[in-house]
Amino acid sequence: MTQPKRLSQEEEHTLIRRLKARDERALAELYDALAPWVLGLAHRILQDEGEAEEVLGDVFVQVWGRIDQHDGNRGPLVPWILSIARNRALDSLRRRRRWWRQASVVDEAVVPPPDPADAAVPGWPVHREVHAALGALPDEQRRVVLLAYFEGLTHSEIARRTGQPLGTVKTRLRIAHGKLAEGLKHVRDWLR
Amino acid sequence: MTDWLGMIPGPRAPRAELRTEVLGRAERRRRPVSGRGLAAAAVLAVLLAGGAYWGWRTIGALRLERDGLVAALVAARDTLGFVRSAATRAVTVPISTSGHAGSVTILADSATRRWLVRCEHMAPNAPDQAYQIWFLTERGMRHAALMPMDPGDAAVMTMVFEVPGDAGRVSGAAMSIEPRAGSAQPRGPMVFRVLL
Repeated sequence: MTQPKRLSQEEEHTLIRRLKARDERALAELYDALAPWVLGLAHRILQDEGEAEEVLGDVFVQVWGRIDQHDGNRGPLVPWILSIARNRALDSLRRRRRWWRQASVVDEAVVPPPDPADAAVPGWPVHREVHAALGALPDEQRRVVLLAYFEGLTHSEIARRTGQPLGTVKTRLRIAHGKLAEGLKHVRDWLR
Repeated sequence: MTDWLGMIPGPRAPRAELRTEVLGRAERRRRPVSGRGLAAAAVLAVLLAGGAYWGWRTIGALRLERDGLVAALVAARDTLGFVRSAATRAVTVPISTSGHAGSVTILADSATRRWLVRCEHMAPNAPDQAYQIWFLTERGMRHAALMPMDPGDAAVMTMVFEVPGDAGRVSGAAMSIEPRAGSAQPRGPMVFRVLL
C-alpha cells in the first residue's frame, strides 16, 4: 500500500511562500493534496456532486487570490482551507434553500467508516485522527457538533432541531469543542 | 481545531478533468496588486504624465520656433529677391527728423512692382502723427504706406508693399508727417522727396 503523503512544517511554509509568490505549480501541488478532502467535505454538506465541484473550484480560486490573508500564526493551512470550503458549501446550501433535503441526512449524523481504499490519499492519518476524536465524544455531543459544523446551524436552531434546551446545546458544544481541541492538538504535521 | 472536522467526511476523488478546470479558473483570476505594486504604478503614472506634459510643452515650443524660422527664412528669401533682381533700383536718402540723423533706403523692384523700405533712426512721432510714404506718379502723389513711430520702437523699421496696378509709372517716393490716420494727399511737413 502506498504510504500517505505527509508534509512537514518546513514543507508547508515553503508551499505557502511559493503560493504567495504566485507559483502556479505550488497551486497544483496543493490541489493534488487537498482537492479530495475539499470535495468530500463539500459533497457531505451539499449532497450534490455538481454543486460540490463548484464549491471546489470556488475554494481554490479564493485560496489562490487570498493566500496573502492566511496568517500562519493563527492556524495551519489545511484547517484554513477546510473552513473556506465549509463556509462556501454552507453558503451554497442556504442560497439554494435545500435545508429540507439535508435535515434527514445530517440528523442521522452519518459518519461513514474509513474506506481502506482511500488510505493512499494524502491526509489520511489526519482523517483517522479526527474520526477517532469525534468517535470518542458521547452521542449527544457528537450530534450537536455535526449539526453545527455540517449544517451551519445556530445554537437556537440546534436546540429546536434536537428538542433540547438552548443552554444544554451550548454546554454540549463547549464541552465537545474542548475535547476535540484536546484530542486533535497533536494534529499539526500534515500541511503544518 | 474544530476546522479539522472538515476531514470527517473522507476524501472524494475529483474527476480528472476537474483539475485542469479548477487550476485554470484560479490562475485566470487577476493577480492581486500589492501595495508596493500600487505605489510603483502610481509613480509610473506620474512619470508618464510628467513626461507627456514635458513632451507636449517641448513640441509646442519647437513648433513655435520652427514657425519663426520659416517666417524668417521666407523674409530673408524675399529680401534677397529684392537685392538680386535686375529690375530693382536702390536709393538711400539721409534724413533728419527732430534732430535725429537717420536714413531711408528704398529697394523698388519694377518687375514685381514691390517695394522694400528700410527706415533707420527716425524720431518718434507725436501721439497724433505718423510718417506717411508716397509714390510719385504721373498723376501726382499717391499713398504708399503709413508708418507711425512711437517712443521705444525699434531703431530700424522695414516694410514691404506693392505698387497698385492703377498707379501707372512710379518715378520716385516721398515721406511726410501726417495725422496718425493718414491723409489722402500730403499736407504736413515733407521729410524727403527723391526720384528713383
